[in-house]
Amino acid sequence: MRTSEPTTPTRAFRGLGAFLWTEALVQAHESLAMATSMLVQAVLLVFVWILAPSLIGVALVGAILYSTFTMGQRVLNEAAYLRIDHKANDLYLAGPMAPEAYFLGMAGGTLLVYLAPVIVLGILAAVVLNLTLAQGLLIFALAATVWLFSASVGYVFSTFFRDNRAIWAYSSLFFNVFGVLPPVFYPYKLFPAALHPVALLMPPSAAAGLVQAALGVTYLSPAELALAVGGLIVETTTVFLFAIYWARRTVRGS
Amino acid sequence: MATMRSEFPNVPTTGRALPSFLIVGWRWISRNPAVAITPILLPFIFLYFLSLISPPSLLPLEIVGAMLFTMQNIGSWVLGDSAFWRIECSLQDMFVASPLSRIRYLFGIAFSNLIAMLPALAILTILLAWVGGRQGNPLTPFAFLVLVACLAVMWVLFSSVGIGISSRIRTQREIWPIGNLTFTILGMLSPLYYPLSALPPLWQDAARFLPTTYAALLVQGALGITPASPDQMVLYAVLLVACAAVGLVITLRLYRWGEA
Repeated sequence: MRTSEPTTPTRAFRGLGAFLWTEALVQAHESLAMATSMLVQAVLLVFVWILAPSLIGVALVGAILYSTFTMGQRVLNEAAYLRIDHKANDLYLAGPMAPEAYFLGMAGGTLLVYLAPVIVLGILAAVVLNLTLAQGLLIFALAATVWLFSASVGYVFSTFFRDNRAIWAYSSLFFNVFGVLPPVFYPYKLFPAALHPVALLMPPSAAAGLVQAALGVTYLSPAELALAVGGLIVETTTVFLFAIYWARRTVRGS
Repeated sequence: MATMRSEFPNVPTTGRALPSFLIVGWRWISRNPAVAITPILLPFIFLYFLSLISPPSLLPLEIVGAMLFTMQNIGSWVLGDSAFWRIECSLQDMFVASPLSRIRYLFGIAFSNLIAMLPALAILTILLAWVGGRQGNPLTPFAFLVLVACLAVMWVLFSSVGIGISSRIRTQREIWPIGNLTFTILGMLSPLYYPLSALPPLWQDAARFLPTTYAALLVQGALGITPASPDQMVLYAVLLVACAAVGLVITLRLYRWGEA
């Protein structure tokens, strides 16, 4: 019996648009998960609103950055769920879709759907902090960078799991340790000074530090600014390129 | 047909449910270290955040809140386990067919999840004794008893809430969001991490319908964090038991067993 020649992706990112839209439609049906995506941010904002109302502006900016950071957790859950539970990734990747389009389509589709509450947070932050256009654009650019970093990390992490049940524990730990402990929802001055370089090397808190410096809430020395900007760019680029390499490699491996 | 009792006369047929679930709980955390570490670390992450933004005098209250919140979150774990076993592993049919009753099954899952939470609760108790002692809110034997009693009520109530909801869940994708949403909202509505008086009036009124509020007020009163007269303490205890009883009746009605 003749079989057709296996279709191999000839073009990078082939099928990205189609899979992004597919994933957006899938995610749009997950109303419960969408509501859950804002839980930690809501909890921390409530804490700040009740216990330290003067910090609400910083906390709102932190909530925006944290929201884009936790989109990586959505990518992790979705990629693991499709692979472990539905075994659908084999089906998708057996077609002409490029592996990096699978990863980026999933990340982009998730972003599209989960963006709405982030926009609401952005409007609230703009009202509370009286943001200028430049500050608004800075927050947008940094949030986009943090999203790219976390989506890449989420996708790579998802390939290591063999059991859906264990995912939440590891992902909660990762995203809370990197998103809540360092100064994302609170000003840098409340964080131990000796640990500032560590926080500036973590993408969510580096982005928060840069926004806080732009808002005049925190002072960052030129060296600290360079560390935050350099760290963010290098880490995001490295992790993103690695995720693309990993997506291609895991397909070949299977 | 030979029954198990006739084939294995020396094997006990009762009193094995809880030890079995204890082993299940232990195996689960021993095979997945993050599962044991996460519930320990998460309350500490919140406590660390709160200690940065709130007055230091509130720290004992926040530690008590973390303990009650941890215990309440067992409900989310019970929900996750029972739904996973039913939907993914189809294990519940086997339990239904066995002599295990639905209440024993509930306590079994609640017990296995309590195992994973015990290290967090032990560390928080030591921290409470240390911080409370330094700030003039010592953990006296009376306060300790009140704390343990409130934690026990929370454990039974929210485990049954968890299993009641889980029996209505249809797909695995719903497990995590429903559990997270339910138990986090319930925890945030109650004055666990802040004094009741710090909340807006409408919120205070809503919080008075929740058992966790009375558990928090009782422990805060016993420790002297939020002053309460003996009469008020009795009232809080009565309201806690009454709210918990109402909650139990509702969730046990919600809880599907054989017919699911």
